[in-house]
Amino acid sequence: MMTLETELCGVLLKNPMIAASGTFGFGEEYSELYDISCWGAISVKGLTNRPRSGNPPHRIAETASGMLNSVGLENPGVDAFMRNELPRLARQGIPIIANVAGSTIDDYRESVGKLSDSPVSIIELNISCPNVREGGVQFGTSPERVREVTSAVRSCTSKPLMIKLSPNVSDISEIARAAEDAGADAISLINTITGMAIDAKTRRPILANVTGGLSGPAIKPVALRMVWQAAAAVSIPIVGMGGIMNADDVAQFMLAGARAVMIGTANIVDPMAGPRILAEIENFMQENEISDIRELVGGLRTS
Amino acid sequence: MKGDFHARVISNVSIARHVSDISLQLSLDAGEIDPKPGQFAHLSSGGVFLRRPISIAGFDKKNSRVRIIVRNAGIGSGAIASLIPGESIRMLIPLGSPYPLDLFAETAGVKKICLIAGGIGAAPLIFAADFMREFNEKKGKEIFSVESFIGFRDKISSFGLEEFERAGTARPVIGGLVTDALEKSLAHDRPDAILACGPEPMLRALQGIRGLNGIPSYVSLEAHMGCGVGACLVCSCRIATDSGHTDDDNVRYRRVCRDGPVFKLSEVVFG
Ligand SMILES: Cc1cc2nc3c(=O)[nH]c(=O)nc-3n(C[C@H](O)[C@H](O)[C@H](O)COP(=O)(O)OP(=O)(O)OC[C@H]3O[C@@H](n4cnc5c(N)ncnc54)[C@H](O)[C@@H]3O)c2cc1C
Ligand SMILES: Cc1cc2nc3c(=O)[nH]c(=O)nc-3n(C[C@H](O)[C@H](O)[C@H](O)COP(=O)(O)O)c2cc1C
Ligand code: FES
Repeated sequence: MMTLETELCGVLLKNPMIAASGTFGFGEEYSELYDISCWGAISVKGLTNRPRSGNPPHRIAETASGMLNSVGLENPGVDAFMRNELPRLARQGIPIIANVAGSTIDDYRESVGKLSDSPVSIIELNISCPNVREGGVQFGTSPERVREVTSAVRSCTSKPLMIKLSPNVSDISEIARAAEDAGADAISLINTITGMAIDAKTRRPILANVTGGLSGPAIKPVALRMVWQAAAAVSIPIVGMGGIMNADDVAQFMLAGARAVMIGTANIVDPMAGPRILAEIENFMQENEISDIRELVGGLRTS
Repeated sequence: MKGDFHARVISNVSIARHVSDISLQLSLDAGEIDPKPGQFAHLSSGGVFLRRPISIAGFDKKNSRVRIIVRNAGIGSGAIASLIPGESIRMLIPLGSPYPLDLFAETAGVKKICLIAGGIGAAPLIFAADFMREFNEKKGKEIFSVESFIGFRDKISSFGLEEFERAGTARPVIGGLVTDALEKSLAHDRPDAILACGPEPMLRALQGIRGLNGIPSYVSLEAHMGCGVGACLVCSCRIATDSGHTDDDNVRYRRVCRDGPVFKLSEVVFG
């Protein structure tokens, strides 16, 4: 018998694949294409306490092996999410992860407070959105601020708390440790890497926001390195992401130390990425005679 | 129903400068789809990372064949435009909201529908013209009376005239502005609805035509897309509204890929 099960701060996942926040909406669109309960879990679009309309278009630019986005946390707000989206999502029978962003500590506390009485399984604190000035990343780039926001939110919820880290920092290990020290149950990384694109003919930036977040295979080497460093720095579970397109990529992140993975941009370029990669993982395990996927976690051979 | 299918190129014919008319055979599991004029497909093409949205220019339900008309405008569209028979690509189809032709068909009497096309924007309107002609043929009487204004920058860029003519009357406008031709015609002839697709300046000009007041007008918008299904929120356009969440007064971002690409002309706020 082969098992793909993994566990994340007390929450059982039937497989290690989690749909990454912001690339999967609230699941509705993809549920028209396949049974979305095939995912181990779903992390929903970043939520803020109040609705946000997001940044002006253009919001996307294609890059070599990746894309830049500057959506800017467009979302209906926590209340509307709980009223209109969560009941349907909760019926999927898989853990739902609420990705939460904010501009102030009080924002984060208020949003998380509301979600604490809801059926979400895990709160993922987004302190790493590069696309809004007041959108959390200022909490994510220094260990002091990470500690501050994590402990403030920790004290207002008993839900498992996962902190989503920004790669736009010089030392990911100290950031990861700060989150762990302040009471995080898990960390997820990486969010997008700040970048930009220019149209040389018009001499204008392609994104109306000028800068945006880079995702996709272009960032995978950086993501792998950061997951590996974070795994060495903390003992809480790590969820790895950044450019995962297939089962081999999933295995690489798990070998680097991730207990589970998130898959984002792959959904955008291949709408069937979820079921496809899941089937590939099963093949990968069979071919490599792996009976329990957890044996990959941190299994990197460096000597 | 929609799905992501394998599509094999049956033919690729150059019909104008840099414009390819391509017929694709969908894989067998595509039996259930029923694309409507105004909807689009999201195509993966070798060499570029993201898929490209391309309007459905025709659909042969019996044989599960899709027609697309593609202008080589860059790397991605260029790769699609130069596909050769036998090659396969992936195609997510059908996506977005169609022109409300079904709605018009349900109301009584002859409907005078005016099509306004600019350049490659003729592609979805060819589907609309064919759809209305076939509808009339099926009913054995004229339900739709179709008049088309089709603008191209020059003669060698023009295509699709036969299809528009077969559906009704067609007025090619070469080098000039379709909107000028439409404005003149509106003085003595008011259609029941306008369906348009073309470059943004054309759509803006359309919005400025006074004579269109009171005539339901629908336009298909373009946007740079990611997922094509409505999940990633990168394809926003501005739509005037008096409800919904927004930071700016009465303007709301809507997804071109799912809430559109067809919108009411009066609601579009050009950037
Ligand atoms: C709903 C819809 C229907 C369309 N139907 C057709 C059609 O039937 N025939 C046809 O030839 N073209 C159509 N287009 C436009 C076509 O998608 C673009 O020409 C194409 O995306 C340009 O890509 P490229 O790789 O050639 O250009 P590049 O310049 O290499 O593109 C770079 C990036 O910009 C984006 N981009 C550039 N121009 C456009 C544009 N006009 N629209 C959307 N994205 C753009 C690309 O997707 C890509 O991400 C349609 C667009 C939309 C939104
Ligand atoms: C269009 C888009 C929107 C995103 N929105 C969010 C978001 O709301 N919250 C968040 O924490 N991360 C967001 N992300 C980041 C992804 O969840 C993920 O961290 C990143 O894209 C790297 O993974 P990938 O390469 O698999 O996409 C977004 C990414 C993309 C491409
Ligand atoms: S392209 Fe993803 S929401 Fe429209």
